[in-house]
Amino acid sequence: MVDKRALRSNKPTSSSSTNGEKAASSSSSSHNSVANPQGKSALGKTSSTRTKAAPGKLGNAAATDMGDDKPHINGTEPVENGVSTNGTTDVEMKDDTSEPPTKVKQGKDKDGDEEMTVVVPPSKGLKLSGEVVKSRESDVVMEGSDEVKDETAAEVKEDPVAKAVSDIKSNFVLLERAVAQFDSRFTLRVLRSISSVRKRLTPVILANVVIETYPSSNPTAQTLLATLGQEGASSEMEIDGTPAQPPPRSPSTPKDILPEIDVYLSILVQIYLLDTKAFQAGAKFSDALVHRIHALNRRTLDCLSARVYFYYSLFYEQLAPLPPSSLSPVVSIRQQLLSALRTAVLRKDPDTQATVITLLLRNYLSTSHISQADLLVSHTQFPHAASNNQVARYLYYLGRIRAIQLSYTEAHEHLTAATRKSPSSPSAAGFYQASNKLLIVVELLMGDIPDRALFRQPTLEQALLPYFLLVQAVRVGDLEAFLNTVQTHSSTFRRDGTYTLILRLRQNVIKTGIRMMSLSYSRISLRDICLRLGLGSEESAEYIVAKAIRDGVIEATLDHERGFMKSKEIGDVYATREPGEAFHERIRACLGLHDESVKAMRFPMNQHRLELKNAQEARERERELAKEIQEGDIDDDDAGGDFEGM
Amino acid sequence: MSNADLTAILKRIHTCLSHHDYTTASTLLTRAKLALLSLNALVPAPTTPQPILALARETLELGALTSIRQQDPEGFTRYVQQLQPFYDLPSTRLPCAGGNKSKITGLYLLLLLSQGDYAGFHTLLEALEVSEDAHKLEEDVFIQYPVKLEQWLMEGSYDKVWGATKGERVPSEEYGVFSEVGLISLTGRRWHSEEGGRHYPTESPWLVLVGTIRAEIASCSEKAYTSLPISNAKNLLFLDSEGSVIAFAEARGWVVSDGRIRFPLQQEQGARTEKEILVASGTVIENTIGYARELETIV
Repeated sequence: MVDKRALRSNKPTSSSSTNGEKAASSSSSSHNSVANPQGKSALGKTSSTRTKAAPGKLGNAAATDMGDDKPHINGTEPVENGVSTNGTTDVEMKDDTSEPPTKVKQGKDKDGDEEMTVVVPPSKGLKLSGEVVKSRESDVVMEGSDEVKDETAAEVKEDPVAKAVSDIKSNFVLLERAVAQFDSRFTLRVLRSISSVRKRLTPVILANVVIETYPSSNPTAQTLLATLGQEGASSEMEIDGTPAQPPPRSPSTPKDILPEIDVYLSILVQIYLLDTKAFQAGAKFSDALVHRIHALNRRTLDCLSARVYFYYSLFYEQLAPLPPSSLSPVVSIRQQLLSALRTAVLRKDPDTQATVITLLLRNYLSTSHISQADLLVSHTQFPHAASNNQVARYLYYLGRIRAIQLSYTEAHEHLTAATRKSPSSPSAAGFYQASNKLLIVVELLMGDIPDRALFRQPTLEQALLPYFLLVQAVRVGDLEAFLNTVQTHSSTFRRDGTYTLILRLRQNVIKTGIRMMSLSYSRISLRDICLRLGLGSEESAEYIVAKAIRDGVIEATLDHERGFMKSKEIGDVYATREPGEAFHERIRACLGLHDESVKAMRFPMNQHRLELKNAQEARERERELAKEIQEGDIDDDDAGGDFEGM
Repeated sequence: MSNADLTAILKRIHTCLSHHDYTTASTLLTRAKLALLSLNALVPAPTTPQPILALARETLELGALTSIRQQDPEGFTRYVQQLQPFYDLPSTRLPCAGGNKSKITGLYLLLLLSQGDYAGFHTLLEALEVSEDAHKLEEDVFIQYPVKLEQWLMEGSYDKVWGATKGERVPSEEYGVFSEVGLISLTGRRWHSEEGGRHYPTESPWLVLVGTIRAEIASCSEKAYTSLPISNAKNLLFLDSEGSVIAFAEARGWVVSDGRIRFPLQQEQGARTEKEILVASGTVIENTIGYARELETIV
């Protein structure tokens, strides 16, 4: 605990010393700003905050825990991804887009941190944090600039409870705006801020918000409070009240509370329950919530309800008996999810659609109902407008299905796309690792050897170690080493769900071995082949080589009477069409990328008027320039520079 | 019909099976299934009492075994699918003991294998791997048998497969059915390969595991050898006599002359050049024009 805080408190110093990394420093501060209230509360009064922080520190590897700890273990420890802990992958992915960094906060937090550094002397770890910061910059910065304005409003130095409350309440404004202007971007922004709020959630804060938002007789408020175990809170609050901010139950609130706000608060409650591992309660609460959402038909609710379904399914995954057994409660929610999918499709709601499809796939695969998953894929169309994370997940599951069904080429395609789309922030390391593991196995099954550089990535190095050994064995065609690796790491492979796929690799090892021999010898006796590959008998060797020849692994002929294999001359690859095809493939990929990036550009509304105006101005300027050039006052370079500015 | 009736019928089926009287068994099975239907136990409901569940499972298992004996793959598949909900029940509802789950599943795996449905085979295996206790699965003879066979088939150790299908290494009597069936309608069967050794027969005759192996070996030999003495071919193909070798060779279109089989050479190599080049240059031109067009839109 002490170490960690020290680490964090050092961060601003480290980032400010590394000049020229503005982006990095801003993101680090975001992390910092999140961590700060916790630190303070741990030092000071509110004991409830401390209890919230504690489980996070202890129980690693659990699906719910991800918060601040993740970046530190980054790269040194494989993020768990077993059957039971699969949740990690998903939850983490959810979080990556957010972490709104606030520049104003940065200043504030620095002050706070300096105070803290007196208490906790700075220790090692400077370098580590620097590294972490660098790796996460790319993701955060894009989102960053927007967020700054919204949260600055809440920038008063006050105690964490009041601050969190006001943070949450400031999101209401955004939600209202989203409804008023019918623009889902505001809602998305609210959702992104969830992960920063998440770390500070306590029942007290939530109860506070609920009480201040709803009139006390409101039934929704009652359920929310009941779930939080704060039924009595309303009266209590007013008596001893939070000192910093007396509930401003202004008379203007009696206006109708938007369902969006309802759902938003419910999501926060869901998250709180998930973080405190109250799965049973969470499942019950989510059940009711899902039913309510199902009845509401509001387009501005779409993104929010997608999130609700996500947590809904997470809760059920954690209920005993756990998924691999066919009796787990996971099975029971399929009906609900399917009907949600149907409604989402009818309402043309891509968010819920994408989320629910991935949830269903995950659901089916968790109980290994592969054929059902396959049917689902063939009967639904994944929405194009889905968010990147959902697409990545969908592709991962699809790749998994195809790999099991032996369509390796397809599986490879999907998995490559999934790994590329996977968010690069360390909090999504679990997903990145899982998809890479599967990708490596599929590549091996296709007869390719994965790139060595893949295993050197800091986020993957540890996690992929067993796979690295596997690749080495396959690469040289060493059957014994392969079997050894499978034996020693079988539990890891089982947990990763790649075990059966890896067992299929045996033949590939043998094939590679034969290929190596065919390349190195122009003639080799079957007996030698049999000895080198550790096969049972010469007959086996003969059949195996014959099959390898038939499958086009090697170019050779067998001589049965004299018992040897004779390799044919290897042709020149460059005389064939293969290089041309490979080249064509790459060019097409580049062109596709270009097209997609053009499509992905966002053009603000009404901007074209501005542009027209600009264009007109530009034309005038151009005319002027032309005139000046004619007069010979300006040389071409200057003019060019000017044009580019537009 | 009642419980007792069903038990009586099942007893009779058992005796029929032990006397290899499969026709009577199947008529009795129809009656047993009707009895199940009247007991409302063909599909397990949450309210079905345990003894009836066990009886239902037994009936369906007997049905599956009978259809295997009668070499009726569709019937067998149907029984397996009906059995699935029973096998999925928790052991508190229906104890695993007394059932033949692994035997039936193993047979089903073997059926998938002999039909060349490798995707189905692996899908089922994956499901087993996840749901079962891993170590239990590894010790299960019935399941391990098809798994081993698949592995050998894939790597090409046909002699091991052959050995395994022979006599005493077969885990139970029913498994022998797969190897009994010899060379039915192998003539003219063509195999196409997809992605690293997936082979589907274009037609799938009933349980031709041995035929499958032989066809595999034949297609390998075609490519691997230029010629082969008939006596060696006999051993390679696991055929009984030289006469059957010659018949087999003719069926596959091999030339037999002075005691040797000569495999037809693949003449693709020679004929390739002219036509290939034309096609290739066509695609190259097409591609290049494509690039030019794309570049134009970009610039």
